[in-house]
Amino acid sequence: MTSELSRREFLAISTLLGCALPLAGCSNLNGYVADSFGGGIPEKISVPDSPQIDPAFHLISRAGFGPWPGDVERINKQGAKAWIEEQLEPESIDDRLCDFRSKRFESVFLDPGTCYEFKREALRKDLCRYHLMRSVYSKRQLLESMVEFFSDHFNIYIEKGDCIYLKATDDRSVIRKNALGRFHDLVLASATSPAMLVYLDGKENKKEGPKGIPNENYARELLELHTLGVDGGYTQNDVYEAARCLTGWRLGSDSKRGTAFFDPNLHDDGEKIVLGKKIRAGGGEKDVAALVNIACNHPSTAKYIAKKLVSHFVSEEPPQALLNRVAKRYSETGGQIKPMIREILYSNEFKESAGSKMKRPFQYVVSCLRATGADTMAGDEVLEYLTRMGHGPFQYPTPDGYPTEANPWLGTLLWRWNFAFALCSNSIETAKVELADLCNAVGLEDLAGIKKSPATLFAYLAGRRPNAEESKAFKDYLSQRNFEDEKVRDELVGLILSSPAFQKV
Amino acid sequence: MPEQSRRQFLQRLALRSDALSEKSDKTLVCIFLRGGADTLNMFIPYADDTYYKIRPTISIPHPSGKGSDASIRLDDFYSLHPKLAPILPIYKEGRMAVVQAVGTDNPTGSHFETQDQMEHGDGFKKTAGGGWLARYLRARFGNNLTPLSAVSIGPMLPESLRGAPGASAITTIDDIRIKAPCENPAVVAQALTSLYGADVGVLSIPGRDTLRLLTRVETLRTAEYKPANGANYPDSNFARGLREVARLIKSDVGLEVACVDLDGWDTHFVQGSVDGQQAALIETLGAGLAAFDADLASRRKQVTTLIITEFGRRTYENGSLGTDHGRGFAAMVIGDGLRGGQILGRYPGLNEAKWVLGPAGLDVIYDYRTVLSEVLTNKMALRDIGAVFPGFEPQKIGIVA
Repeated sequence: MTSELSRREFLAISTLLGCALPLAGCSNLNGYVADSFGGGIPEKISVPDSPQIDPAFHLISRAGFGPWPGDVERINKQGAKAWIEEQLEPESIDDRLCDFRSKRFESVFLDPGTCYEFKREALRKDLCRYHLMRSVYSKRQLLESMVEFFSDHFNIYIEKGDCIYLKATDDRSVIRKNALGRFHDLVLASATSPAMLVYLDGKENKKEGPKGIPNENYARELLELHTLGVDGGYTQNDVYEAARCLTGWRLGSDSKRGTAFFDPNLHDDGEKIVLGKKIRAGGGEKDVAALVNIACNHPSTAKYIAKKLVSHFVSEEPPQALLNRVAKRYSETGGQIKPMIREILYSNEFKESAGSKMKRPFQYVVSCLRATGADTMAGDEVLEYLTRMGHGPFQYPTPDGYPTEANPWLGTLLWRWNFAFALCSNSIETAKVELADLCNAVGLEDLAGIKKSPATLFAYLAGRRPNAEESKAFKDYLSQRNFEDEKVRDELVGLILSSPAFQKV
Repeated sequence: MPEQSRRQFLQRLALRSDALSEKSDKTLVCIFLRGGADTLNMFIPYADDTYYKIRPTISIPHPSGKGSDASIRLDDFYSLHPKLAPILPIYKEGRMAVVQAVGTDNPTGSHFETQDQMEHGDGFKKTAGGGWLARYLRARFGNNLTPLSAVSIGPMLPESLRGAPGASAITTIDDIRIKAPCENPAVVAQALTSLYGADVGVLSIPGRDTLRLLTRVETLRTAEYKPANGANYPDSNFARGLREVARLIKSDVGLEVACVDLDGWDTHFVQGSVDGQQAALIETLGAGLAAFDADLASRRKQVTTLIITEFGRRTYENGSLGTDHGRGFAAMVIGDGLRGGQILGRYPGLNEAKWVLGPAGLDVIYDYRTVLSEVLTNKMALRDIGAVFPGFEPQKIGIVA
């Protein structure tokens, strides 16, 4: 942790930013703020010196988006356990520096009604930039990682219908609020979230006349994707019955625009039987809570959520023993998320899995920005790279969320390389790096030093010493470059960020 | 080590990949309509009164009607959505065949399960391993593949190419190159070749394939592309994707399989009729296909285009003026030598009696793998269909004349 800010300093800078941020050239101001509060690149960073990935490096790479300069040392000093426990209590971590940087995206803090006064384009940019900024700069790295996880799990495509006006509220009061809370609460909040009611047509699901036909879209995904999983043992009839429970939820108009309400006249208030459990007639708007409880308490849900979490943190092929332990935590705590995360992060399976997963494009971009200590406002150019790689925030059309496994992303290597080279040569307008400072901090004071020891830069960025083949590749590369030119340093850092080692996590 | 010229490096890379065939005599273009397309509103069974009865607001008007809203009569039973007018000539010339009542044996009604099953070429809960196009490429060509043998348009490789020996996901070919800070990016490409070559994990092959692709594309990049025969690609991602495919085909870079997606067919809510949500997608599809067909007039012997979706939709409209997930759909094939200009396959009826009970759709009469098998065997000259669909016994439709 950096030193605590004094409240007075905080307010002074806050005022300064409040006035100056709408002006051009704010990225410099951001750098100024970062420097003032020790959020930039430390003067000296010690570099991992083992052929195996440093455990602290592994921890923050999986439980977050990779280390900011100096993070690995900080975790090693604090101890992994203390770091994990602190991350599990995000409120205990002073994150005002990140709050400064991201407060300019004003629409993400507003209610849906007010959001309707903004243009779609402005809302899209605010949302995506806010999401990216927090991932890069938040010290609550585990929280941000879980926000990304659940944003996929409860995926909402902001280009569908009015979702764009409603997603910011969903992000705040469904995802962020419950990302480290209780799974049942997350599902229940999501079920009546205005953005979800639009995205999966819940607002159109109503009892209509004696031969009413409900809209099954949300009910199906609730069982298939959000809770039990496709092999979780539900039937087509369960989907139908679940859809009946969810009839009657609508969105308001005029002054209530974008807020959800329950219309009893459109609700099918008869008895329902879901997954063999009876929901009595006359439940009205309480049907949704009853349904969510039945689905969340189903043993398949414990297994399914355990599997998704272990796949996220440990491996695409999750070890069965760990799955069983995590599912047990879910069941015995009634769906508490923190005990599951503890079970995973403290496990040997987690420790032994270092470097075995592939980063998705979002994680790749964020980890590049963090590793280089970049000063970014997460502008259009950065988002463009994400879009090109098919991983723009909240841009996934279908409700299964972005794929988590490596295979679908294997076609993105070229775009990753070009992002790395553009970033390192400072040719991205809204993301600037000071590679001379970074090289200095790891003890490489000039170009001659860098030429002599590319292994030091590699170890800093990859969390381990290079192997023989990697060393030879860098040596061969350097022998063909003219070391009078500072651009070679930029290219070398870009090359390390492009290497297979940095694609892995 | 002496400074290596870019040309030398490119030559070395090209030599390494031994069997780079410049020409491919057959190219299969697979278009996937994601979301479950309502093909009943594209090839309309206008002679079945039930269709109009159970689709009170979203049906497409009878072809006997006047004005631009009327569907276009194809035969005594079927008519075409007016927004598909651009492909009517292809159909009339007999180069387009439509097969009714195609689908999977997957009962889940899930987009993802069903798309995965189809892209993997599997039966329900029967996994053949990898994607069907990947298996086709292996069965057909052995190791005789180029980095541009299989291309998907878009950011990600589709499941159908899972396990393909060399497949590339691209958006446009114009910017496929390494933009390194220093002069002579070949030095960087060489370093990456070493680094990815030494990798022992999943990244090794895609890394090296990407580097080989770069050298192939280098030559294409310099020339500006002019579509042939006044082909007018509309302004849509779909049409832009088809344009890139046409460009690769005409450049003879060895393209064997291309995948293009058109998303957004999941019309649960206010689907529309002659205009509206689905009509906009149909228009995009029709205009894109027409431009693609015109552009590739000189390559008709070479190119076969297949258009499928994961399932059709319910036969009836739901309470929110849309359609929920159904089963059977109409598959489309465009190419030479087809039994074209007709709707093949039996019409299963709209099953009015069944639908009150819940999930239903057009009955599936033909397993989707029968369509794929006939295309692979009779159009792509694949000998061993069992290598692509192991244990599957194709039915007989007779898509190819």
